[in-house]
Amino acid sequence: MRQPALDTIAVVETPEHVRFSFELAGPARRIAAYTLDLLVRALLMALFAVAGALGGLAGAEGLSGVGAGLWLALGFAVEWGYFVLLESLMNGQSVGKRAMRLRVVTVDGRPLSFAQIVLRNLLRATDVLPVFYALGVLVMAQDRVFRRLGDMVAGTLVISEQSKKLEEPLVITPAPTPRELYELPQRPELAPKELEAIERFLRRLNLYSGARELELAEMVAPLLARRMGLRYSHPVRFLALLYHRATRRGTRANS
Amino acid sequence: MQTRDEFVAQRQARWDELERLLLPDTPLYRREPRVISRVGALYRALCSDLMRARSLDFGQDISDHLNALASRAHNALYGPRPFSLRAVSHFLSAGFPQTLRRNWRTLAIAHLVFYLPLVIACAATMVDRRFALNILSPSVLESMASAYSEGFDAGRDGGVDSAMTGFYVYNNVGIAFRCFATGVLFGVGSLFFMLYNGLTIGATLGYVSVSGHGMNIFTFICGHGPFELTAIVISGAAGLKMGYALVATHGATRLGSLKANAPELAELILGAATMLLIAALIEGFWSPSSVPPPIKWAFSAAASLGLLAYVIFAGRGSQRAA
Repeated sequence: MRQPALDTIAVVETPEHVRFSFELAGPARRIAAYTLDLLVRALLMALFAVAGALGGLAGAEGLSGVGAGLWLALGFAVEWGYFVLLESLMNGQSVGKRAMRLRVVTVDGRPLSFAQIVLRNLLRATDVLPVFYALGVLVMAQDRVFRRLGDMVAGTLVISEQSKKLEEPLVITPAPTPRELYELPQRPELAPKELEAIERFLRRLNLYSGARELELAEMVAPLLARRMGLRYSHPVRFLALLYHRATRRGTRANS
Repeated sequence: MQTRDEFVAQRQARWDELERLLLPDTPLYRREPRVISRVGALYRALCSDLMRARSLDFGQDISDHLNALASRAHNALYGPRPFSLRAVSHFLSAGFPQTLRRNWRTLAIAHLVFYLPLVIACAATMVDRRFALNILSPSVLESMASAYSEGFDAGRDGGVDSAMTGFYVYNNVGIAFRCFATGVLFGVGSLFFMLYNGLTIGATLGYVSVSGHGMNIFTFICGHGPFELTAIVISGAAGLKMGYALVATHGATRLGSLKANAPELAELILGAATMLLIAALIEGFWSPSSVPPPIKWAFSAAASLGLLAYVIFAGRGSQRAA
């Protein structure tokens, strides 16, 4: 039943009975968000230290002890409480996550409960082992939806909330000639996922170098050609024509 | 049939309006009622647009755009439950002790795993003080012994008290949290940290005792010990429970079993954290004070009995929290 998705997504069914997919956040963006949060926390501790030092200069002997105690307690709060507090207040985000447009949600796409926030963040103590979140990243890398141990225990996902632009309709240039189309079947048999992959590929053509474009197309075109018993002269062109035939899209006139 | 362009032209204004309304970072519930209900209406319309765009196959970019917008609107609309003081007080007065009683077996095992090595290390060190050197370095042991050579008749000044409270919070709560968190490695981490902490504490107690300051250190820890050691054991028990959930899955997948156990795990660790906070306050301000030892011991006895009564009786007859 479950088809492997083209992108790293998690499908969610809402109370409105609409299924939509969340784009999952991969290790790279999560590490970037974590680094930002680390900086914020370091900054907080530095501010506390400065405040403590000023307090110590200003006055009584006992105060420096109070300052040190406060500093350690704050250090504790920043180390263990930072993410718990922010993810509670900011509906699954922290400063770094908001900057990277990430959000933590439950596996069914709902907002987190406090218990889940506590669990996923306490488990950092294991994910961080042996150094630099090595275990967490390792676990994340082999999980289909990029969960670290804390996410697995709490039942949470980190999703990406970037908005997508509505693009111009795809136009195949130069326009397909009748001669080219003549050799193709009226309705090539392409599964929706295959069409989706081809459309994504065609939309990204201007991002690839010529060689890369060929390389990618050569991975797919022969398979499709063999299946349909067709020949082609240029793999990229072949994919574009197939797409046009299957969807009737890709030319200005009938887009 | 509607073409893609007609579809987009007809709906785009609504999509853009929703996009604009979602732009501010303030949570939705803090905004004007008009905005909230408008976002709700636009979201529902968007959901049907999304279905339509998919079924009529207007192209991947439309589905992607609507999907991204829908997921953001969804997250804005389905906000988290607000914080409630009543839930906290119910948890502390009933939920936590109920959960402790339901998990008495795990707790009993955790007590053994922690106290057995503690007692053994303490006894072995009392018999032969060189035993402690297997566990801790001589310099640490010596500094512990000299720290407790004075006693607390003179008390400590308030500044040092606060400093030490901060240190205890930082250190001990960290120990307890690690006892819990490493349990996800099939319980091995929790076992290791409980054994290790049991041995360390036992060896220290034994070493300070043979150095002749036993009364001082026991009087020092008698006030906060009941809270602190129990909380560490509860954290470890939660870790063991987490590890056991991965092994004994009762027919579920390992992750499913973990998920089923997660609410109780969170209750155990949150309760333990509360106890550790209480312990740190006692440890920072009461334990090192110049209050005469008999009163400290009386306080300790009362606290222990109170804790025991809490664990056994609190929240009986009260409904389980939903």
